[in-house]
Amino acid sequence: MEFKQVVGRRRSIRYYLPFRPVEREKVQIVLEAARLSSRAVNADFVQAIVVDRDALSEEDRESLKTPTTTAQLDLAPVWIFWLIDPTAPRIGQTSLKQLVDVGALTPSHGWSHAYVDNVVWPQVLQPILADPGTAVLVAAVEAGLAIDQALLAAVDEGLGTQLTALNAANAKRILGIPDHLIPIWIQLLGYPAEDPEAGGQRPRSPFEQIYFEGKYGHPFERDEMVVERLRAEGMIMPEAPYPWRKDEVRALSRMFGLPE
Amino acid sequence: MSATPVPADLLQRLAGQATVGAWLRAYDAHWEVSQTDDEVRSKLEVLSRFCLVCGKEPDELVAWLFRETPEGPRIRLKRRRRVMALIDEFEREHGGRPAGNVVRSFLIHNGVALSAAPLR
Repeated sequence: MEFKQVVGRRRSIRYYLPFRPVEREKVQIVLEAARLSSRAVNADFVQAIVVDRDALSEEDRESLKTPTTTAQLDLAPVWIFWLIDPTAPRIGQTSLKQLVDVGALTPSHGWSHAYVDNVVWPQVLQPILADPGTAVLVAAVEAGLAIDQALLAAVDEGLGTQLTALNAANAKRILGIPDHLIPIWIQLLGYPAEDPEAGGQRPRSPFEQIYFEGKYGHPFERDEMVVERLRAEGMIMPEAPYPWRKDEVRALSRMFGLPE
Repeated sequence: MSATPVPADLLQRLAGQATVGAWLRAYDAHWEVSQTDDEVRSKLEVLSRFCLVCGKEPDELVAWLFRETPEGPRIRLKRRRRVMALIDEFEREHGGRPAGNVVRSFLIHNGVALSAAPLR
């Protein structure tokens, strides 16, 4: 699929074909995409555990749910538990020098082993590591970059996908997750039972309301020609709800015996 | 869905409860439908049977599932779990999934988020 179509067609899918497994190859591709995301300090801020829904006991599945995560967990055959690591910058002194050595961080931008050892490590990374709030914030942002690539890769592979909340304490207990890692999302994978467009592009705030030029509050003017081009190329899709969306949801509810 | 007929005066009393009215109005508004009298009556019969099982009337049940806080009402999660289990049991003994989903729908449209295990 073309990149713009992947972006435009991504939806949080909440109805999956529960009986159709996801090919292992596709799961790997999702993980590979996450591994290649942009990341500060070239550190592993995010790790993941792939779990087969049916390998979990009913009791464990139930204990992972929150009030907002319900039937979609039972429907999706593959769950990827994304874990953030606020301690990831601990390798920064080594990983940054590695980036200098491979020509990513260059002397023409001021980078050297000495700069890493004498400035970046003691004055930037160690303070981040010493402040749990900042460390978690940094890790969450970095993890988000990786997880988004995983979402887009899933769409590109023709899968339905969604991030869903979880009971983190129970996830740690059930999956044996080390204390320093924080389970942040479950990414569901499966073949969609609903139309992959899931009723259309979800509402978004007006472009000029959130994007500015020059200074805050001065809207970045949206060029309608560009908008038209993105519509033609499949990135900007018709807005939700499609006229038949409620009928679709009702039919899905009845098919799976879910409440209305 | 029905077993022994539910007395008309009981149905009328249930229909007059605030949470039942809120449910029926919210259901119609969300699904853009207008339920017939027969559909409503059938749902009220199921709800009345569940009320007998749980020992609470609709308004009382919804109130029991929330607690007041300075930030507004919050769902009592342990009670919610108990009610979810009770609905599962109710549907096994009183009309299957359609009956259970009537009760779930009543709670959902009164702000109690819950679902059912999908049939698969």
